[in-house]
Amino acid sequence: MSTWIPLWLHKLGSPPTFYRVAGAVRPWAMGLALLCGAIGLYGGLVLAPADYQQGDAYRIIFIHVPSAWMSMFIYAVMGAAAFVALVWRVKLAEVVAMESAPIGAAFTFITLVTGSLWGKPMWGTWWTWDARLTSELVLLFLYLGVIGLYHAFEDRRQGARAAGFLAIIGIINVPIVHWSVTWWNTLHQGSTVNVFGHSKMPWDMLWPLLMVMLATKAYYAASLCRRARTDLLALESGKDWVRQVAETEAGR
Amino acid sequence: MSAPPLPQACSAMLRRDLTLAWRRRGDLAMPVLYAVIVAVLFPFALGPDLALLQRIAGGVVLVTVLLAMLLALDAMFASDIEDGSLEQLVLSPQPLALMLGMKILAHWLATALPLIVIAPLLAGMLHLPPAAMPALLLALLFATPLLSLLGAVLVALTAGTRRSGMLLALMLLPLCVPVVIFAAGAVAAAQQGLPWLAPIAWLAAALILCVVLAPLACAAALRIALDS
Amino acid sequence: MNALQHFFAMGGYGGYVWTSYAVFFAVLLADNVAPRLRRRRVLRDVRGRLARQDARARRTTSTTP
Repeated sequence: MSTWIPLWLHKLGSPPTFYRVAGAVRPWAMGLALLCGAIGLYGGLVLAPADYQQGDAYRIIFIHVPSAWMSMFIYAVMGAAAFVALVWRVKLAEVVAMESAPIGAAFTFITLVTGSLWGKPMWGTWWTWDARLTSELVLLFLYLGVIGLYHAFEDRRQGARAAGFLAIIGIINVPIVHWSVTWWNTLHQGSTVNVFGHSKMPWDMLWPLLMVMLATKAYYAASLCRRARTDLLALESGKDWVRQVAETEAGR
Repeated sequence: MSAPPLPQACSAMLRRDLTLAWRRRGDLAMPVLYAVIVAVLFPFALGPDLALLQRIAGGVVLVTVLLAMLLALDAMFASDIEDGSLEQLVLSPQPLALMLGMKILAHWLATALPLIVIAPLLAGMLHLPPAAMPALLLALLFATPLLSLLGAVLVALTAGTRRSGMLLALMLLPLCVPVVIFAAGAVAAAQQGLPWLAPIAWLAAALILCVVLAPLACAAALRIALDS
Repeated sequence: MNALQHFFAMGGYGGYVWTSYAVFFAVLLADNVAPRLRRRRVLRDVRGRLARQDARARRTTSTTP
């Protein structure tokens, strides 16, 4: 491998080191997530004033919008990790890509459900075929396809590479879907909904949103650490370091 | 022993696949039959209202053809994997992407072309206005190879797994959304008397892109899925 | 008391708001519990295999003096 990659990165890439580091990072990330989440949701649910148009129903966006951001952010992380896994065959990158998928699917699901729950009182309908909603639905299908393909293989690493390839195809696909649905909506002149009526959000609504966004990012880091640790244990179950982990945790 | 020249290898591959397809004529009729059954069921479910059928005819025919192709997609590489000839192909000196391109072409000729041939019949049964017929046929002519190419990549990815039927549909759905939108958009525009060449041109552009990229992606996917 | 009721009513949108928050926390909780259970299962498997290996090793050493 090329020499410009610092040595600590190579070290971090080795499963036992990553297992230790992730174990150390996880509680801090989780703590940060809980703290930011509590502050942000208190700010959003209690301190922020009701919206003059949407009343109190707009408070759903404090979880809806961060979830939507996370659904795309996690997909990007998954695609990048899958690329690294395919090109350099780094085992850790495969683990990160495949363990990101369920978290991303969870956030996508949350986005769709909270979006419907918001849309019902605001637009009078649970669902509209708007470009954003449709892209989000397609994103969920992509996540499910990646997870399904990963589990269809008997060899886990082969499954991770195949599913990673699918994830990369999906990255190209999502903008195309978004653009084509926009085109489709203009063709049909249907219910084009302006999801964000406000171009500028007042500060006392914005800071809780950013806080929750930080919380979801930290939550993703924590959840990914936990999932990757577990997956590494399963992948390397024959190795000595896993044996040691199993023995030290047997007493507890 | 030197490898045969490329054009010869391509034509041999095409001939072999078409011969194999012809030997199993019964299997070839299945997607067509399926499409006919689905298209016939729609009027029964929705009632024989002429205006309603006219409105949905284009979309129904497109979705029907898509589902029929999905039905046949699973078998694209199945027999070649079973008898090991796909692994031979991977090891052969010819570029794998080109050979796979020929296989996809053969598959398209064997499954999609019959569907395109009966599409006017289905559309006629659903009372699609004759003015929209050229748009429908052109849309199918560009959309079906796109689906074959995109589907081939996914079929190659699932080559190493045992069961893939539903998974294939799940993976294909996100990829075929734009194709369906543009194909149906062209038919809808033609029905409303609007210019419909633009969406067809988009489909054609996507097809050109896919003709170049999909066989390469297919080859890469196959290498991943068969690598063990 | 009245203020609390007012807060939970969410200006008449309480059902929508609290349902979405419930979904949010339920899904994330499930996301948290699943790897925990899997970890326990994986470690139990590893320990089981270790125990079997130990037992086999002890048997072979005891039968060959």
